[in-house]
Amino acid sequence: MRRLTSLVFFAAGIVSAADIKVVANPSVRVAQMSTDELKRIFLATDTSVEGGHVEPVFEKGGATHEAFLKQYLGKTDAALSIYYRSLVFTGKAFMPKMLGSDADVLDYVAKTKGAIGYVNAAASTPGTKEIAVR
Amino acid sequence: MDKRKNAIALVALACAVPAALHAQFLIEGRPVQIHGFASQGFAYSSDNNYLTMNTSAGSFKFTDGGVNISSPVTDKLRVGAQIYIRSIGTLGQWHPELDWAVADYKFKDWFGVRAGKVKTTLGLYNDTQDLEFLHTWAILPQSLYPLDLRAVTISHLGGDIYGEIPVNKRLGSLSYTAYAGRQFDDKYGGFRDVSLQQGRSRAGGTGWIAGVDLRWNSPVPGLTVGGSWLHESAVSGGMVLARGTPYTFTKEDQTAVFYGDYMRGNLHLTGEYSRNPRTFRFAGVPGLQLLRQKGLAWSTSVAYRVSKHLELGTYHSRFIADANKDWSALSNHIYDQTVTARVDIDRHWNFKAEGHFIDGYGSINSAHGFYLAQNPHGYQPKTNMLVLRAGFNF
Repeated sequence: MRRLTSLVFFAAGIVSAADIKVVANPSVRVAQMSTDELKRIFLATDTSVEGGHVEPVFEKGGATHEAFLKQYLGKTDAALSIYYRSLVFTGKAFMPKMLGSDADVLDYVAKTKGAIGYVNAAASTPGTKEIAVR
Repeated sequence: MDKRKNAIALVALACAVPAALHAQFLIEGRPVQIHGFASQGFAYSSDNNYLTMNTSAGSFKFTDGGVNISSPVTDKLRVGAQIYIRSIGTLGQWHPELDWAVADYKFKDWFGVRAGKVKTTLGLYNDTQDLEFLHTWAILPQSLYPLDLRAVTISHLGGDIYGEIPVNKRLGSLSYTAYAGRQFDDKYGGFRDVSLQQGRSRAGGTGWIAGVDLRWNSPVPGLTVGGSWLHESAVSGGMVLARGTPYTFTKEDQTAVFYGDYMRGNLHLTGEYSRNPRTFRFAGVPGLQLLRQKGLAWSTSVAYRVSKHLELGTYHSRFIADANKDWSALSNHIYDQTVTARVDIDRHWNFKAEGHFIDGYGSINSAHGFYLAQNPHGYQPKTNMLVLRAGFNF
């Protein structure tokens, strides 16, 4: 039922935090993290978790992406773009991976050590592990 | 003219080639990214000529661009460099410069080290002041980020330590940057023109700087407040033109900046205040041995993103050349009220239209946009200016 509800809202372009799944490569050493920890990883402030390197993976756009930014990072897509460009063009960070779909994110996360991404909760996530966000 | 054409071709090539190469590739299994930007502006003013351009006749001499390359060599070590070039009126004159070139090693998330030519963290925008695509405005508040002085404030040859320390969920986190290094004079910047209009040429000087920036990422979503402090100790000199004799001077300069930035949804508010007392000691300049000034500057801004493609905003900016003198004198202040519309065509292209309503023109020592070289018959009290600027980045 939850999956059906998610699909209906996704089709309507309305996605809430409950409809987002945070996924990680199995090499990532935690199974849960706080919203603050997740925010610091996706804003490139933290580059390691429990001593292991982590790499944030974004979607390029779409309802899941917008909901993730709003819920966990408190930024719009335009603000996120400016944030990362300000780091990249001052030599303070590397531009993160931005992929076109849930499938692309899942494929990259499954294959890349330390990668952490987010997908719609309805997506099946073989080869990755889900991270519970407290 | 050939030099200009060559520079334009170089910037265009630098932008086009990496874009064609998709901006990221692998070397020895490690990703390498290339990014770049370029902008072209047009400025038309009602009266005074501003920012070393012939703006009263309309000027397209408002071009800049840059390209950078960077790579994470290991999970903790990142290297990169950026070349920057500009021609804004008589500023820059198409001389490419190494904007930054750093090796950055992050020991822990709360402690990292950068070394090389490093962008100087001071206030909200010092390190991003020449990246127009990051800002709502076609021209940043010139009280705080004068285009004339960009090259002498933008970066230092030395090192930073930096990090972010989470305090707790209720108190947010603290970001810090502390740095020291050398800064170099700009042969193609505003101090050159300030010296010339006082009858002196200027040879390149150098100085030591040390500074710190501390910002509190508050638990209120989107609210950051902070402060920066910088000390500069510099030596320079040149020739007294009428006599053909050399002169030297030293400068002791301290800058303190306090700022706040609030971004919530589509709304963006900022406020920034800076004070800058400085002391110059001259040798070899007739009638001038000691010059003390206390510069003040502040600005506030409001911007609202109306849609994905349109952002509207306004800022008010005030510069006092010397707070120890009469603030109301036109020759001691520059006040600027602006209105801006920014159109984001896509992620790579933007266009801005901006109106400036400027009162005053600052002092002969200001290096804040108004020079006798472009205004040989003196200044009018007010300057209204339209700025159009198109930018590209990848």
